[in-house]
Amino acid sequence: MAYLSLKHLKKRYEGKQVLHGVDIDIAHRAFVVIVGPSGCGKSTLLRMIAGLEEVSEGSIALDGREIAGLDPADRGCAMVFQNYALYPHMTVRENIGYPLKLAGMPREERVRKVEEAARILDLGDYLDRRPAQLSGGQRQRVAMGRAIVREPKLFLFDEPLSNLDAKLRVTMRIEIKRLHRRLDATSIFVTHDQVEAMTLADLLVVMNAGRVEQIGTPTEIYGRPASTFVAGFLGAPAMNLIPAQAIDGQVRLDGAADIAFDLAAAAWGRVTLGIRPEDIELSPEGTPVKVDLVEELGGSRIAYAVLAGQEISIVLPRGATAMAGDILRIDLPKAALHLFDGDTGRRIEWSVPQALVA
Amino acid sequence: MTIDSAVSAPLRSMPAASPRARAKGKGRATTAIAHLVMVILSIFCLFPVYWMVVSSLRPPNEIYDTSLWPTGASLDNYAYALKAIPIVRMLGNTLVVSTVVTIAQLITGLLAAYAFARWRFRGDKFVYTLVALTWLVPFQVVMIPDYLLVSNLGLLDSLSALILPHLAGALAILMLAQAMRSFPREVIEAARMDGARSWRILWEVIMPNLRGTIASLAILVFISTWNEYFWPLLLSRSPENSVIQIGIQMFMTSEGTAWGPLMAASTMASLPILFIYIVLQRQVVQSFMKSGIR
Repeated sequence: MAYLSLKHLKKRYEGKQVLHGVDIDIAHRAFVVIVGPSGCGKSTLLRMIAGLEEVSEGSIALDGREIAGLDPADRGCAMVFQNYALYPHMTVRENIGYPLKLAGMPREERVRKVEEAARILDLGDYLDRRPAQLSGGQRQRVAMGRAIVREPKLFLFDEPLSNLDAKLRVTMRIEIKRLHRRLDATSIFVTHDQVEAMTLADLLVVMNAGRVEQIGTPTEIYGRPASTFVAGFLGAPAMNLIPAQAIDGQVRLDGAADIAFDLAAAAWGRVTLGIRPEDIELSPEGTPVKVDLVEELGGSRIAYAVLAGQEISIVLPRGATAMAGDILRIDLPKAALHLFDGDTGRRIEWSVPQALVA
Repeated sequence: MTIDSAVSAPLRSMPAASPRARAKGKGRATTAIAHLVMVILSIFCLFPVYWMVVSSLRPPNEIYDTSLWPTGASLDNYAYALKAIPIVRMLGNTLVVSTVVTIAQLITGLLAAYAFARWRFRGDKFVYTLVALTWLVPFQVVMIPDYLLVSNLGLLDSLSALILPHLAGALAILMLAQAMRSFPREVIEAARMDGARSWRILWEVIMPNLRGTIASLAILVFISTWNEYFWPLLLSRSPENSVIQIGIQMFMTSEGTAWGPLMAASTMASLPILFIYIVLQRQVVQSFMKSGIR
């Protein structure tokens, strides 16, 4: 049985529907990342689990107990906010100890717990400072300290890293993951940053416009995106999506009828062909494309070119060089192709036609 | 090389420096004018206070004198004022009334402001507007009903009657509600997650962060209560149950006004206010500068 189970969760604000029935099951000790563009309802979903937003419809069960109607304090969740949300007038010690004080824990035990949390988070030297005297990273650690002392059943993270600079973000990301493992916790982490999502998640939930687009491990989702939205959202540079037609077991690109692939698609008609920039190969017999722009990333290079009237990006293999104006000969390996319905954008499973295999 | 650069440097900077210097001079002139205006304004504000103190030191025969400092300065007027009316008792009364009113308005204001700022209930905006409107209604309009009320309660000529109509004030509610609305929502949500209910959120999370607003509000309420004249004038009968503003007025009689003792009493009446302002000045300035916390 799932540890946290969300069933048909809906949210309406003054008649406007922002969540259209969300179902997610989360196992104990999982690190779940909810990712999506801003306004997709991911933060609302998290706040509903926390109890900060009312549930319009549906149920939330945590550890076998329905919590949808309960006060935030009674749910057993702790939350880390984007803006840290520390109490400005309290010292670090008081901030971390406040939930314990509210729970009526005796003073000695409280002191012990706060010190333990401070040790885990490396905050020992700052216990008597106020939030205003701390850096962004330290404040975020205090916010985490306040969450961990309560030993909650569920940790909720609402974009906790987006106020930090790039370097600190990477450090804190690793720290959060380490902390999660050390505490054997169950965590839900909301972000719009796909790198955070891919690196942190055991289970990734991709949301769009108030709906769950896909749930799976990062590898599954990256390897087999369920829709053009997921395909375009995860991965940098994003997957190339090229409009095409599926006719007679062949998929032809719209702008270039001579480029065709033998794919036995389940559907006929308009489709979208997808290929990741790093899956495109250079080959002497390949289709010629003219390079428009090259981005140097140090470790790799991304070439932008036009194929069938559509801009595509190609991750150049190590050692390969290209300049704007060059002609590259590229090959789209069939095994790396993704096929999506041209209207709904949903993934279409395809297989190589039997006749050709034989 | 060094000589060369040393010589050429001022030469090169000269043409660039002169317009800047002119701009600087202009800026200095503007600052000087601004300061001059402020000095004149502060003289306007301070001179009556100075005149009050000086007049209180003048002997009766010099009271209409226009010299800046009396020839025979003495504290006789103070001695007379202290003997003529129970000034210490009256100052004590005023202190009690002002303190109780200030504390009461802060408490009722915090409670009401929390409700307005944090809870959505049916008719909340309407009630808030009503509260705001009571601020616009002049005291003279509610004076008679208030008088009848305290008189029916049998409280005429008592300190309770002076306090009662001021237990809650629109200014306090509006100012605190405004401050609470600008308080970061996430901090309150964090407190809710930590297990705090409204009562503790108000007193342990919001209130300590509104100290600036509370201090300036307390000063405003305290001073306006201290200086109140009209309401005590309606209610007070005996000097023992009067506040200092009524005491001062007692020197204006049908036989004439005893200006010297009146000024002495006025000076004594303004000392506590002056003292409070000096002590809390930093808090007041701070509250205007911060206007919400980060």
